[in-house]
Amino acid sequence: MSFKYGLEIIALLAIIGFCGLFLYTSSIMSDAEFAGSDTVGSSQIAELTGKSEEEFQPLIGQWIPPSGEIESALFALQAAIGGIFVGWVFGYWKGQKKTA
Amino acid sequence: MVHIMEGFLPWQWCVVWWIIALPCLVFGIYQLKKVLEKDREALPLLGVTGGFIFILSSLKLPSVTGSCSHPTGTGLSTICFGPWITSVICAIVLLFQSLFLAHGGLSVLGANIVSMGIVGPLAGYAVYRALRNTRINMYLTVFMVCALADLFTYFTTSFELALAYPAEVGGVMSSFALFMGIFAITQVPLAIVEGVVLALVFKYIVKLKPDIILQLKVFPEEKIRAARGET
Repeated sequence: MSFKYGLEIIALLAIIGFCGLFLYTSSIMSDAEFAGSDTVGSSQIAELTGKSEEEFQPLIGQWIPPSGEIESALFALQAAIGGIFVGWVFGYWKGQKKTA
Repeated sequence: MVHIMEGFLPWQWCVVWWIIALPCLVFGIYQLKKVLEKDREALPLLGVTGGFIFILSSLKLPSVTGSCSHPTGTGLSTICFGPWITSVICAIVLLFQSLFLAHGGLSVLGANIVSMGIVGPLAGYAVYRALRNTRINMYLTVFMVCALADLFTYFTTSFELALAYPAEVGGVMSSFALFMGIFAITQVPLAIVEGVVLALVFKYIVKLKPDIILQLKVFPEEKIRAARGET
């Protein structure tokens, strides 16, 4: 990378491109639900086996978040845990550099 | 998703994937202990690379096929610590998602660990080993490792499902193509963005804490010096 911020610019372009791609697909695919690909996969399994999706019961009982809101809260929690790690370590390294 | 959903894999296959996953996890824990005993300064790096697995695997992003999927974030930790330690971090994330998010589940956890924590990182690691000592740009290497670790995770998920559900006509291969259509094509744009973002993160790690990257011999010293503009 000869240019100092080359990678930053590429990353920015990739993210903008990704958003653009999303806007494009969501505008031309009016029936797109943007459901999880595991949901799509599961209905495919149901189709292959000729069973209905309801017949696939968990082998080991599991707790299911009572609503989409609660689920997204827990997802946000997961991301936050990751963010805390990342931020803490970058700060730690920065502090180490200063005292060195 | 990375995940096969709970109940969607016959128990025989659940057992098979668990049997494959467990020894890898045990070896990963052993390796992790060794790395941390040798160098306590590796712990923060583990925090960063593991942190990104937590963050990226929680982001459900829309893709070109009109469905959503998420990146895996396993590439960075694969480069810094190898595939087995990465398996351990993935197992923790996947366990969290099984218990609290009904994403995946305990019976399919083995299969999900194999795809996200073992085969994906192994594929990435192979690329990393092949490119590490070549003249290829360090960040380009990181990009390729991260993108491929992500893609191979979904190839594996497709394969696991295809093995369990061979199509009546065409068998495993035709099922595989079917699942690949759902999982892998959705994943290509995500894998590219993930690769670029993690390459950028790696740039900042090298900038802030080159010593640890040198100590773990992640990349040859000349490459790191060149990337820092010291030559």
